[in-house]
Amino acid sequence: MSTFLVILHGLLAVALLGSITHQAVAVVWPARNKVGFVNAYRSVSSRVYVNANIAMFLVVAALGAYIYPIYRVWVRTYMENARLYPAVGSFEIKEQFIAIGLGLLPLYWLVWRRPEPAGQSARVAVTLILCFIVWFAFIVGHILNNIRGFFGL
Amino acid sequence: MNNSNLEKMIPVFSAAFALVYIVSVELNWALFTYHPKIGQWGWLVEPSRDGPPMYWYGWLVTSTLGATAASVIAWPLLKNRPTQYWIGWIVPLLVIISVFYFFRDWFLR
Repeated sequence: MSTFLVILHGLLAVALLGSITHQAVAVVWPARNKVGFVNAYRSVSSRVYVNANIAMFLVVAALGAYIYPIYRVWVRTYMENARLYPAVGSFEIKEQFIAIGLGLLPLYWLVWRRPEPAGQSARVAVTLILCFIVWFAFIVGHILNNIRGFFGL
Repeated sequence: MNNSNLEKMIPVFSAAFALVYIVSVELNWALFTYHPKIGQWGWLVEPSRDGPPMYWYGWLVTSTLGATAASVIAWPLLKNRPTQYWIGWIVPLLVIISVFYFFRDWFLR
């Protein structure tokens, strides 16, 4: 069951990664036409991603929180015994970033709900911060999930 | 309190959440502790019963309550001002940067 949940956690994280990256690119580097793949990628309506991103962030975080005890008891102990301290530290940082991301979600919802020019910089900033958090968490999670292969253990 | 008033509190909530969270982590202000090896919960910060204790869930609840309280306390200052969006992302951004500093020891061993 835990293996299934880890895989589901990873698959949903991939969906969130794609969705929030697409939104971040569209808000930072918008395009006025859809000629070609790059322009088409940049020209999407950023607003339509908001609710899906919030829902996916919550579901991925909740799944991560549910399977976290397995990591804490078995995986982290294993990595500490193997003296893989940077890997443990990376997960510690990931854990803090996810928590900060959860606190940012209400603001993310608010700045995208109101199209006021006053909120434009906040819209860009919050989207980029959440995008960074999701990328960081994904990369760390992916490396830890494959830690034995990466380090030949 | 109407929707517009509630919206003015959201940036303060996000800022306070990040601040209270990092203080909770550093000072270990967990509202409860989970002992994953034996599946038991305990109030506030508890030492290990069997296996490593987990405080992350407790820090999240401490931060949520703290940020809600901070938003309510800040309400009189906010109600006649435009929504201060900037505070809601500047503070979490600074906290994110500080996390690298607070957890540097893992990378220096």
